[in-house]
Amino acid sequence: MPLLEVKNLEVSFGLRSGDVKALRNISFTLDRGERLGLVGESGAGKSVLGFSILNLIAKPGRISGGQILFEGKDLADLSAEELRNVRGNRISMIFQDPMMTLNPVLTIGQQMIECLQAHRKISKDNARTIAIQKLQQVQIPSPETRIDQYPHELSGGMRQRVVIAIGLLMDPDIIIADEPTTALDVTIQAEIMELMVELCERNNVALILITHDLGVVSQVTQKAIVMYAGRIIEQGPTREIINDAQHPYTQGLMNALPQMAIPGQRLNQIRGSMPGLQKIPTGCAFNPRCDYLRDACTRELPGYTQSGNCKVACHMVAELKQAEQVSEDI
Amino acid sequence: MTTENQTPADKMPAAGQAPGLLQRMKESHVWHSFTRDRVAQLSLTIFMGYVLMALFAPAIAPFDPYDATQIDIMNSELPPSWDEEMGDPQFWLGTDAQGRDLWSTILYGTRISLTIGICAVLLQATIGIIIGLIAGYRGGRVDSILMRFADVQLSFSTMMVAIVVLAVFQASFGTELYQDLAMIMLVLVIGIAEWPQYARTIRASVLAEKKKEYVDAARVMGLGQMRIMFRHILPNTLSPILVISTVQVANAIISEASLSFLGLGMPVSQPSLGSLISSGFEYIFSGAWWITVIPGIVLVVLILVMNLLGDWLRDVLNPKLYKG
Repeated sequence: MPLLEVKNLEVSFGLRSGDVKALRNISFTLDRGERLGLVGESGAGKSVLGFSILNLIAKPGRISGGQILFEGKDLADLSAEELRNVRGNRISMIFQDPMMTLNPVLTIGQQMIECLQAHRKISKDNARTIAIQKLQQVQIPSPETRIDQYPHELSGGMRQRVVIAIGLLMDPDIIIADEPTTALDVTIQAEIMELMVELCERNNVALILITHDLGVVSQVTQKAIVMYAGRIIEQGPTREIINDAQHPYTQGLMNALPQMAIPGQRLNQIRGSMPGLQKIPTGCAFNPRCDYLRDACTRELPGYTQSGNCKVACHMVAELKQAEQVSEDI
Repeated sequence: MTTENQTPADKMPAAGQAPGLLQRMKESHVWHSFTRDRVAQLSLTIFMGYVLMALFAPAIAPFDPYDATQIDIMNSELPPSWDEEMGDPQFWLGTDAQGRDLWSTILYGTRISLTIGICAVLLQATIGIIIGLIAGYRGGRVDSILMRFADVQLSFSTMMVAIVVLAVFQASFGTELYQDLAMIMLVLVIGIAEWPQYARTIRASVLAEKKKEYVDAARVMGLGQMRIMFRHILPNTLSPILVISTVQVANAIISEASLSFLGLGMPVSQPSLGSLISSGFEYIFSGAWWITVIPGIVLVVLILVMNLLGDWLRDVLNPKLYKG
């Protein structure tokens, strides 16, 4: 049994103009200690997916279909009490901006101790010892002093380390990291990423990394999911997706990396931009921007085609596969 | 971004020693601004003077105005002692119509006025903070219902509610009982009539705060709603609470004084500043101006000083006005 299994998840936002589906037909699995990258443009639904795993989507959003099975139990069936026990304790989350994530009026020690005491019956002194230990694990110098400081007294990188320490506080099984390094400068990004991977490996924690940085995904994760307009368009082992992207959108993303550009020429880009959720075209959502547009693309939603170890939602890939099949048969 | 504890780099405590509370305070923006603002310094000094006067009234006052045996009706309406013809050096600020020493009575009156003001505001704040927090955090229907309550409450003026309640109470339970319970009744009436001020202010701040990521983070940590509301959001809304509190204490004291002036406040046997002013008002045309004017000045200065402090606090706690 996988640690986390998401089955046909659908999330809708009830707006005045009717329901808008922010996530459609999302399915994937995550094993213990596995690292999964979630890639896509802004608005593709990455963060909504992260929040829905914790059943924390803000109104007017709601999970309108499918299941999220954590250790085989559907999170939607849990009571508020049980759910609180999963949050922070078994699954924790790290946000983008460490300045905003830490409460500005409480010392970091107070915030950590509070989290510990919310989940375990533990004395303040013991909680403090554990908190200092965790701060040490994220390589914060002189944690005994730092623990009594306020968030504004720490630098950005230091704050994100504290946030990671809070994420690790309860020894969770899964950490969902929502663009954990976006707010940091490049040198510190690498340090923080390395630290997170090391800690996850050492503690056998599964990591869901939400990002739009393909470079980070290729270095850090074993599995990757590419999302577009609320749907998974390609998923599989990271190496295969990076080296041999099947979906035109993933190919476009790869080509858009600055490393792929020829010096002296303009950077490659995917023309157009992602449609708003209310204006998703019929058929494949990517069709207005796709270079390989054909009839089927505007008519019907492509199903998933197995290609190697990857699953791809594209008519073109499906056709190619069929052609291959035929040529093999001959 | 933060308004408090702006520590310049050179004053940062060396790693290895946590700065004490006093150290933190000395480096804070509030303290910095206070050392430069003469008005704030003067206001706080005067206000502290009032508080000390109120606290130590029994020790300072030469007479006990509540002790009928110390009052001699023959001493009534004596002018202040600097009036050489009529004044009696025993009574520094003169005496009132019943022969009580005005200075002692003012000391005790300040004590009563401040107590009522502060207790009423504590009550307002408690009700207002709880309702405002819940309304702001829960939102939706809960918010609508609670805030409509507040609107209804606000549409009755404080004075009207107070007059009706106090008059009915006085009429139905008799003046005797009323005199014993006057202070509690005033605190209750003023406290309940003004809670929407707090509820509205807090709700507005909570609406802004609850969208911030640290609230999401707290929910992700699995903390309960109560804990998030009171421990995480409430401390972040403290600066508007502090500012309106100074103004509200002043308002409560004024309300109490007005009610007393109308004869619905503190009884003459235990006069607050308002009832002193009121009792002297009858004698103002007979030339005994001091019974009304002196407590009046004391009251005006108290209110003025509190409002000035409130203004200063509002400016200090407003990050948009922060000038380093």
